[in-house]
Amino acid sequence: MTLTVKEELIKRSPLRILERSISGGLGRGNIGVLASRKGVGKTACLVHIAADKLLQGKPVIHVSYASRVDHIMTWYEDIFKELAKSPKMRSALDDFDELVRSRVIMNFKQDGARTEQVLRSLEAMIVHGSFRAETLIVDGLDLAQAGLGDLPLFKDFAGRLGLEIWFSASLKGEEPLFDDRGIPRELEPCLGAIDVLISLQHHGDHVHFNLVQDHGRLAPKDLRLKLDPTTLLIAKDVRPRRPGL
Amino acid sequence: MSGDVARMRNIGISAHIDSGKTTLTERILFYCKKIHKIHEVKGKDGVGATMDSMDLERERGITIASATTNVAWAGHSINIIDTPGHVDFTIEVERSLRVLDSAILVLCSVGGVQSQTITVDRQLRRYDVPFMAFVNKVDRVGANPFKVRDQIAEKLGHNAVLMQLPIGLEGAFRGIVDLVRMKALYFDGADGETVRIEEVPAELAAEAAKKREELLDAASLHSDELMEAVLEGRPTEALIKSAVRRGVVARRLVPVFVGSAYRNKGIQPLLDAVVDYLPDPGEVVNRAVDLDAGGAERVLAADPAAKTVALAFKLEDGPYGQLTYVRIYQGGLRKGDEIVNTRSGQKIKVGRLVRMHADAMAEITEASAGDIVALFGVDCASGDTFCGPGLNLALSAIHVPEPVISLAIEPVDKTAADRVAKALNRFTKEDPTFRTYVDPESNQTIIQGMGELHLDVYVERMKREYRAEVATGMPQVAYREAISQKAEFDYTHKKQTGGAGQYARVIGRVEPLPKGVFEFANEVKGGRIPREFIPSCEKGFRAALKKGALIGFPVTGVRVVLVDGQYHPVDSSDIAFQTAALAAFKQVYLKAKPQVLEPIMKVSVEGPCEFAGNVFATISQRRGTIVSSVEDGTFSRVDAEVPLAEMFGYSTMLRSLTQGKAEFTMEFLKYGRVPANLAQELTKTTESRT
Repeated sequence: MTLTVKEELIKRSPLRILERSISGGLGRGNIGVLASRKGVGKTACLVHIAADKLLQGKPVIHVSYASRVDHIMTWYEDIFKELAKSPKMRSALDDFDELVRSRVIMNFKQDGARTEQVLRSLEAMIVHGSFRAETLIVDGLDLAQAGLGDLPLFKDFAGRLGLEIWFSASLKGEEPLFDDRGIPRELEPCLGAIDVLISLQHHGDHVHFNLVQDHGRLAPKDLRLKLDPTTLLIAKDVRPRRPGL
Repeated sequence: MSGDVARMRNIGISAHIDSGKTTLTERILFYCKKIHKIHEVKGKDGVGATMDSMDLERERGITIASATTNVAWAGHSINIIDTPGHVDFTIEVERSLRVLDSAILVLCSVGGVQSQTITVDRQLRRYDVPFMAFVNKVDRVGANPFKVRDQIAEKLGHNAVLMQLPIGLEGAFRGIVDLVRMKALYFDGADGETVRIEEVPAELAAEAAKKREELLDAASLHSDELMEAVLEGRPTEALIKSAVRRGVVARRLVPVFVGSAYRNKGIQPLLDAVVDYLPDPGEVVNRAVDLDAGGAERVLAADPAAKTVALAFKLEDGPYGQLTYVRIYQGGLRKGDEIVNTRSGQKIKVGRLVRMHADAMAEITEASAGDIVALFGVDCASGDTFCGPGLNLALSAIHVPEPVISLAIEPVDKTAADRVAKALNRFTKEDPTFRTYVDPESNQTIIQGMGELHLDVYVERMKREYRAEVATGMPQVAYREAISQKAEFDYTHKKQTGGAGQYARVIGRVEPLPKGVFEFANEVKGGRIPREFIPSCEKGFRAALKKGALIGFPVTGVRVVLVDGQYHPVDSSDIAFQTAALAAFKQVYLKAKPQVLEPIMKVSVEGPCEFAGNVFATISQRRGTIVSSVEDGTFSRVDAEVPLAEMFGYSTMLRSLTQGKAEFTMEFLKYGRVPANLAQELTKTTESRT
């Protein structure tokens, strides 16, 4: 049986590598975190993850704590445009409007909205708004500050509504950011509420993905993925494996 | 007063509903001594604000038609256009923006940048209108003009800079610190008519100094002279003003002023700012197309000595006949002058010329470039250009959106019928988004417009202004039909039995045209259809598009490619090919898998956070898609796309659901496909009707 262009695109996505490395994917009820310093590319990765879900026809809620929403919409447009670069893919993606119908962007003010209120609004969107999301993207929440108290609330929410939630975590502390196991020191106190933890680090001119924790197990591993600096898409890392990892 | 362009200002006042725009205009009129008593919009004295000249506006507390008015301040002549705040009337806003040189954007210091503010900002951008911001209602509970400044910068992306600081907030709001002069201003007297100037209060000195720094930083980007003066520590008032002015005119700086129109505070400094910072007509570039030179663009000169070019931008039916508001771009208008309407070619003699003040008017004998005046007894449509002899220019048309909703109306009795006709004739001339026609099948009069409220207002106006009572049907959505795939046709029209025969054959295909209404391509080779009959084919196809076979609505988004055909030397004719094309389209239409399209509206709902969940529910029940939601702790805004067909009665429902605390705006976004099951229902009802 031949695959449609869209199926091909989904199958060949580097995100399948990520899923294989974390026991088949994040999974409902679980919390995943992408951690790095500011400006390394976490938002791009999260949007890529969301776009991949949308392609598979799975609804996504994108929660943002940024000051405006229009640039997030542009992110999505850019990523879909990037994915549709080859003419063959374009036909599969020409209904951009249709794809983004399965995405809602919810914007909250960092200092204005408390997590209880955020979760209430999310639940209202899913239940009253009949928006059956499977994946939640949470970008820009100051996890290190809110983490201890709020991450368990999100974890509980994910379990109750059957969601998988991907967070970005901006690391702001002084060097070294990571301890000798590769765990971001700022996130150590809330490690218990995190199921999958991935760190993004500069190595030379590329950003690499390291798996730190996989469904509760500390399992340091180079994911052999990189962030393509021009497309800002997650891509396979084809260079030889670096020693020591 | 005419002649000196540098001493003229044409300004608009744009805002979100309930930001206090009409109250502000009222105060401006009062301080400029145009009126002698202040009335409130929802006045207890039963008089209502002066600018809302229509009874209906007084009753509903909203401004519908933009009356223009002229005031004098500090030796300058200022024409003010009061623009409506409701989205259903955006054509009025757009039309005023076309003739304005600059604007004051009024924001509520509690609500800040709201959905309508964003719409208005987009319109200001479209017409490149420089503007300044007035943060009103600083006396209200929860007022935060600093937050509003941040929102203008973040949400609208403007380089907004505070020109003033409030002295006290909410109930304690007493006056204003002028950051250019570094003085405190207080507004004394029963109506705040006396401005008392004092030193900046000690407790505000530090903050005022800091904000002045920011102002100087922003302003010096537009003037090297000021930059130098700042570095040397001696910036003068004149230097700051000219730098800010330059920034504003270039649309690269938005000065922010604060005050409370209702409390009579901050209005006089705002008027000073209009004179100081907003451009005069000579500083704004206006263009027209030359109809004698194949539509080449011409830049107009705000020169009273040049040949006259003027735009009729608004018609009004007053007790003394038709009043035509015109903006003069070039040359001037004098009583007795002869001008030409370049659309109709009609010559017109300038009769009575008046300057307007809301409902009252002053007769004048001449007006010159840059001015806005009104003419009596001129027969024209809104949007027409008038030129002096020897010129044939057209000012670019104002963007007119297609109507999305229609309503059948029926006069209640015979005597009303005449008056209805008169009223409709008037309204369609005044407002290009309001249309009317008689449905040939039902013989009913149909009116079309931009939304429920838009049509409601006209039905009300018929009753009040023309004593023409009408019964209305159910509002009807303006559906469209479109094909979804390519299909080929081959049709022969033949009638050759006795008398003059008819013969025509057309072969070709139809294709979907996603971004257009209709396109016709002729690929016939070797004269298989003689050249003179090609336009006949096009005409036939066009006629076929008027009524789709699914639900009888116009077909849109079709490309017809004519490839081949046949003709008969005697029996082929214009009519024969038209008929063939029409029939060919009917034949191929169903093969091309037609779909029903419906208008999808961009809907924005704003209200307190606690209702966000309810709002989500109302959107999803209405087949809507939520695009985004924004919450800042107390306030939430939900942006969604909802089919117009589902939006009837939404305002009533939203009001009762949120105890009147939430409001929404809606504008046309695009046409979208009607889901198959609903399309089927529509088709069924159409079939049962015929």
